[in-house]
Amino acid sequence: MLRRSSPRLPVYIVLVVAALAACERRGGCTGPYCGTLVNAAVAEPGTLLPPSSEDIVANDIDEQLFLKLADVGMSENTLGDEDFQPLLAQKWEWDGPLTLVFHLDPGARWHDGRPVTAADVEFTFNAYTDSAVASPFRPKLHRIASVTQRDSLSAVFRFRERYPEMFYDAVYHMRILPAHLLRPVPRDQWRTAPFGRQPVGDGPYRFVRWQPAQSIELVADSTFFLGRPGIRRLIWRFTPNLQVAIQQVIADEADIREQLVTPDNVSRAREAKQLAIYPFRGSVYTFLSFNQRAADDTTKAHPIFADREVRRALAMAVDRASLLKSALDDLAKVPPGPMSELLWIWDPDIRQLPYDTAMAARRLSALGWRDHDGDGVRDKDGQPLAFHILVPTSSVLRKQYARLLQAQFRAIGVHVEVDELEGTVVNQRVGTGKYDTAILSRNNDPSPSSGIAQSWTRAGFGGSNFGRYYNPELERLVDRAVTATNRDQARRLWRAAMETLNADAPGIFLYALDNVAAVHKRVDNVQFRPDSWAALLRTWRIPTDRLIDRDRVER
Amino acid sequence: MTGAAWLLRRLVASVAIIFAVVTFVFILIHLAPGKPCGQVGGGEYQDPIVCAQLIHQFGLDKSIPEQYGRYLVALAHGNLGYSFSLHRPVQDAIADTVPFTLQLAGAALLLDFVLGLGLGIYQAVRVNRLPDIVIGNVTLFIYSLPTFWLALLLLLIFGEKLRWFPVGGPNDLILCPVVDSLHCVADRLWHLVLPAATLGLVGAAGTARFQRAAMLEVATQDFVRTARAKGVPERRVVLRHELRNALLSFITRFGLAFPFLLTGAVLIETIYAWPGMGRLAFDAILSRDYPLVTATALIASVVVVAGNLLADILLGVADPRLRVRADTDLVLTA
Repeated sequence: MLRRSSPRLPVYIVLVVAALAACERRGGCTGPYCGTLVNAAVAEPGTLLPPSSEDIVANDIDEQLFLKLADVGMSENTLGDEDFQPLLAQKWEWDGPLTLVFHLDPGARWHDGRPVTAADVEFTFNAYTDSAVASPFRPKLHRIASVTQRDSLSAVFRFRERYPEMFYDAVYHMRILPAHLLRPVPRDQWRTAPFGRQPVGDGPYRFVRWQPAQSIELVADSTFFLGRPGIRRLIWRFTPNLQVAIQQVIADEADIREQLVTPDNVSRAREAKQLAIYPFRGSVYTFLSFNQRAADDTTKAHPIFADREVRRALAMAVDRASLLKSALDDLAKVPPGPMSELLWIWDPDIRQLPYDTAMAARRLSALGWRDHDGDGVRDKDGQPLAFHILVPTSSVLRKQYARLLQAQFRAIGVHVEVDELEGTVVNQRVGTGKYDTAILSRNNDPSPSSGIAQSWTRAGFGGSNFGRYYNPELERLVDRAVTATNRDQARRLWRAAMETLNADAPGIFLYALDNVAAVHKRVDNVQFRPDSWAALLRTWRIPTDRLIDRDRVER
Repeated sequence: MTGAAWLLRRLVASVAIIFAVVTFVFILIHLAPGKPCGQVGGGEYQDPIVCAQLIHQFGLDKSIPEQYGRYLVALAHGNLGYSFSLHRPVQDAIADTVPFTLQLAGAALLLDFVLGLGLGIYQAVRVNRLPDIVIGNVTLFIYSLPTFWLALLLLLIFGEKLRWFPVGGPNDLILCPVVDSLHCVADRLWHLVLPAATLGLVGAAGTARFQRAAMLEVATQDFVRTARAKGVPERRVVLRHELRNALLSFITRFGLAFPFLLTGAVLIETIYAWPGMGRLAFDAILSRDYPLVTATALIASVVVVAGNLLADILLGVADPRLRVRADTDLVLTA
């Protein structure tokens, strides 16, 4: 009997499991503050402690947990203070040219109920600038001399010098931390502190749980002093594979994918009926970096790229527009210099080297780089015009670009080998200068000042100026642009700086990705601030007539 | 040598193997190019100055022998170290992931052996007939598929297009963030279907071919012919005589299945967002998280060695000819 019925057993098991799994608990939330949004994230943060967390997902989550004193507005204007939105600071005033006083909102509370005070602000500045914390934001705060408390709700910032982005530096890089919880933790142990995995913040959302390699869940603070968030629950779901993350959104298992990255993904997302597509300005640009130091001995000049004229010829040999069309269609733009479209200095009219292969070939020949031995590769004094392009294996796009560049350089008699290596190896080789060229990406914050200076001036030697490019004229122009007193003057100076840099061709600026996000259509008031897509999440809403099962679930 | 002495000797050898694996992995990962400071997202790189500071903070600027010595001392105290990519103790990270890998490997193993064994027997019984030929070709096709490709295909068809099964993850994050009810157990099983099927199907295809060959080999033995000549019913000949004897190779395959499941799990866990040890190890290697890489190698080697030891013991139990004799090691007398 048992034997005869046993073949049906697996069928019964499957049916029972299916029935149980399909039987969702019906929840009860029906009001205006219901809603659960699941974000399909492709990376998991290491820690949520703001001074130690520099990855993008950690920043997105920290936006919900920890407030800044104020934040940039949708204009992304970083000059002066007029376009900034108050957050923890209810108001501020200038007390002399170098002193800025913030008055905290008395309604601001930590999620454990303690008030947010000026002591927290002072503590935060001291922590961010303490070398023991090893915060990546520390260099961006070097022009602030001190932060002190005038009274329990007034924090005083004193600057070392006067410049247009004083306010931006004061508010943008630091999220205020709870001194009463972090003071007992030795600073050199902050990266490993349990607080980073169970944070207590003061933002619109409270931390609920972190399931390693699965998800982080936050719940709205219904008493948030700036207004109750519209969405009740936020979940970051970690999926290491981008394609699978996009499949989750398409299959209606997640609500948000803030970057679809490729044209194919965008068209797939467009076909999903429940999704709305939101393009917004991107913050990343990608370029081919020419190393001006020899790869095998970084104390010597590079035999090819130390020569400005060779770099210029190579830059002219690349048809960036056609590369972009072939790899990214209309999902990106050719950057007019080392910048993403996020920066207010973005201007397509900035002068750039033209695409002109005939001129490129003539210049190389004039410099002595000719094909003397008839092997199809130019050479000079017995040295072939050949180099390597370094790309990380993890980036399909950069690998594709490397192949396309290889083909374009071949057309003018330049031999290129593509080295596809693991991301950590690429990072190590680039960081130590052991490369010829590498396709690198940079993420801009809204201000051109710190990013461009760190990547393209002497200030970045030993840091992010991996190719060790240096031009005193550029340094002078950048210094003047950073200290320009008004936006028009700053724009002119930045433009001159970018044209100087473009003329030197320290790299070839390949593409600046536009961001395209997919969000479930039931969500209203969706706004993306380009420098931080999650900055305005607390204002998103789901109308009561559009709630779906996962919005109503009570636990 | 008694059975206990043999077991003791095998255990000592196992510990030596595990020690060797850990040492090898420790040295290899430290010598591998790349540093534990990688990209931080958005294409941005960690500041080299901050990176150097962190390397000093975690003692990674010390010599490899010194780091290894410290590691062994910590290991002797039961401390697997601190993961710098996850910002938490390694043992906590491992403890979180091992249950998921066991669930996935267990389900895949079950599917692998139940389906593989069944198909192998069925093919052997109908050798060279149409079902045998069809199943043989289908299993060969499945066996030759790259696991990651099969995973992506199943996900696309049954997850995205048909929406019969969830697209990755171990549970419904909203209804079942933790498994605390019968409904959530069912939900976990539901999420397990596609990853376990991917791993299990490929394994079952191999097992079926293996088992078919073993059954056919046994079928030519004298005792099987004798049984048939005595008029023993065919079902009994197959199940009692052929299968029991053909199970020896099955047990050997059981021991060998562990490394396959652990290595296969690396890809499957990554594609299906299954928070197991394979994915943990993969991420740890990419981020050059030395303590985590070494610890996952340690756990994997323990599992593999234990699996093989278990297979040897089972072989001895299943076949008296393979039992340990008092004066020799494990002797194959067959």
